[in-house]
Amino acid sequence: MRTEVIRIYKTVHTWAGILTGLVLFIAFYAGAITVFKEPLERWIAPPNHSIRAPLTQMHELITQTLSARPDAGKEFTLHLGDEEHVPARLTWQKKTDGDVFWSTAIAQDGSLQIARIHPSGLARFVDMIHRTGGIPGNSEIGEHFMGVVAMLYGVALISGLIVLLPSLARNFLALRLGTKLKRIWLDAHNLIGVASFPFHLVMALSAVVFAFHDHLYDIQDAVVYAGKLKPIMKADSPFSAVKQDPQPAAMLPPDMLLARVKSLSPAFEPVMMQYRDAGTRGASVRVSGNDPRYMLRGKGFLVMSPVSGEILNTDYFPGRQDLWNAPVSAIFALHFASFGGDTVRWCYFFLGLAGAFLFYSGNRLWIETRSRDGRDKSAVQRRSTRFMAALTVGVCFGCISGISLTIVAGKWLHGHVADVDAWHKGIYYAVFLGSIAWAFLRDSQKAAVELLFLAAATTAAIPLTTLLAWVLPSLGMWVNDSPAAIGVDVVALAGALALLRMMRYRARNNVGNRYPLPVGEGWGEGI
Amino acid sequence: MGKTRYDWFGKGSAGVLCGLGLAVAVSGLFAWLGPGGLYAPNKFQLNMWLMSPIWLGVISFCFLFRSGLRAWLWLGGANALAFVGLYACRHFLS
Repeated sequence: MRTEVIRIYKTVHTWAGILTGLVLFIAFYAGAITVFKEPLERWIAPPNHSIRAPLTQMHELITQTLSARPDAGKEFTLHLGDEEHVPARLTWQKKTDGDVFWSTAIAQDGSLQIARIHPSGLARFVDMIHRTGGIPGNSEIGEHFMGVVAMLYGVALISGLIVLLPSLARNFLALRLGTKLKRIWLDAHNLIGVASFPFHLVMALSAVVFAFHDHLYDIQDAVVYAGKLKPIMKADSPFSAVKQDPQPAAMLPPDMLLARVKSLSPAFEPVMMQYRDAGTRGASVRVSGNDPRYMLRGKGFLVMSPVSGEILNTDYFPGRQDLWNAPVSAIFALHFASFGGDTVRWCYFFLGLAGAFLFYSGNRLWIETRSRDGRDKSAVQRRSTRFMAALTVGVCFGCISGISLTIVAGKWLHGHVADVDAWHKGIYYAVFLGSIAWAFLRDSQKAAVELLFLAAATTAAIPLTTLLAWVLPSLGMWVNDSPAAIGVDVVALAGALALLRMMRYRARNNVGNRYPLPVGEGWGEGI
Repeated sequence: MGKTRYDWFGKGSAGVLCGLGLAVAVSGLFAWLGPGGLYAPNKFQLNMWLMSPIWLGVISFCFLFRSGLRAWLWLGGANALAFVGLYACRHFLS
C-alpha cells in the first residue's frame, strides 16, 4: 500500500481515536460489568422476606390479586425464579408513579399481601453509564452522543487496521518489552486491537444502530417504503395476532401454560411471564427465558393466549427464529453476549476490559509519542500533551473508582437515605469529576499513582463490605451467599489486586525515570 | 500518478453524506429486490441493520480517494445510480 495512504489513515486513526478514546473507555469498562448485570443485582438485593408462592399457587395468586387490585390486570409480571433479586412472585408497575413497583404474595395464612417495593437501580445505573458514556440527564441525548462516538470508533478501527496491514505479519505478535516505552504501548495496542478486531467491529456497527435506529427507520420509511413502513412493522409485531377484546374470560393456570411451552422446547428455561389485559378474552402473555444454544436478543420469548392456551407467535423463540429474524438476533446476541451461557459471558467480560485497556493504551501512546518527540517542543504542544495526560488519568481511574464506590454505597446507605438511586448517581459523578479535578490540580504522574490507589481501595471495599456485613451483623448490612453474589466479591477482589499492581508498577516507573523530564513536566512515564 | 491529498473536509463530507445516501439506497434495493421482496415477514429489521455497515464502510474508506472532488464524483455517481434503481423499484414494483 502506498505510503501516502498510510500517512493519511494514521492521521484519521489518531484523530478518531483521541476524540473518542476516553468515552469508549467508560463505555467498555461499564459494559464489561453490565455483562454480569444479574450477579450485580443479586449482590445488591436487600434481604427479601416476601413469600414466593410455589408455581402451583400462582393461579390463586393471580385471581386474588386481580380481584383485590383490578388495575394490575392491564399489565403485570410473574417472576418464576427464586434468586435474591427477584422481588416477588407477582409485580406490576403503576405508570403514574414512575419507577415504583407493587408486588403481591400469599401469606402463610392464605391472605393476600400487597406491598410497595423499590428494587435497587444500581445495575441499571451502571448499564446507563455503559450506554451513554455517563452523559447525565436525558438518556436520549447520551445515546445519540454515543452513536456519534460509535461512528468515529468504527472509523478508528478500520483506519487502525489499514495503518497496521503492511507490517501486520511482522508486528502483530511482537511484544518488545524492555525497549522504548512508546514501543511497548504500541505493541500492546496493536496486539489487543488486532486480536479483538471482530469483537470491536460488531460493537461499533451495533452501537450505531442502537443509537440511531429510530432515525434510520424514518429515513427508510420516507425513501424506501414510501410511508408504508408503519403497517409493515405492525404486521410483524409479535403481538399482531392478539386482538383486544374486553369481554371477561377465565384464564388457564400458569403452570399449564408453561407445560405447553415445555412441550414446544424442553430445553427452554422460562424466567418470566408478562400478562397484558389479563382476565379478558383479548389477554396475552409473553413468556421469556433462556436457551444458551441459540443467539437471542437478551432473552428469547413467545406470545400465547392465557385464555385458550394457544401459542400465537414464536418469531423470537430460540430455534424458531426465521430467515430474517435470526441474523438480526445474532447481531444483538454478539453485542449483549446473550448466547452460549456463562462461558461466553466471561469471554465478553475480558474482551470488554481488554477494550478499555485498548483505549487507555491508545491515549498513552498519543501522550508518549508527543512527550518524546523532539520535533514538537512548542508550548502549545506541551500544554495539549499535559492536558491529555491529566484527562486520561482522571477519566479512566475516576470511572473505575466511581463505579466501585457507588456499588459499595448501595449497601452502606440502604435504610439510611430515602432515595438510594439518587445517591448512586451523586456518588459516581462526585468521584468521577473529583478524580479529573485531582489529576489536573496535581502533577498527573503523581495523580496517576494516587488515583490508582483510590481505584484499588474502592474496589477492595466491595468484598470488604461483604466481609464486614458477615462479621458484624449489627451494622444492618446483609450478605447474599449465592455463588453469583459471592462471585461479585471475588471478581472485585481480583480487580483490586490488579489495580494495586498497576499502581506499584507506575510508582516504580515514576521514581526510576528512564527518560527523566524537567521537573513539573511529568506527563509521560510508567504505565 | 497524482499525489493523494488530505482534503479532510471534501473527503469527509463525501463519506458522511454520500455514505448515508448509499446506505439508504442500497438497503432499499435489497428491501425491494432481495428474497421475498418488500413485504417478506420480519425482513424490515435486517433492511435497517444493513445501513450501518454500508455507512460506516463508506466513511472509513472515503479517504482512499485521491481528492475530495474525486470522492464526491465517484460516491455521488454511485448514489445517483442506486437511487435511480430504487425509484424504478418503487415505480414499477409497487
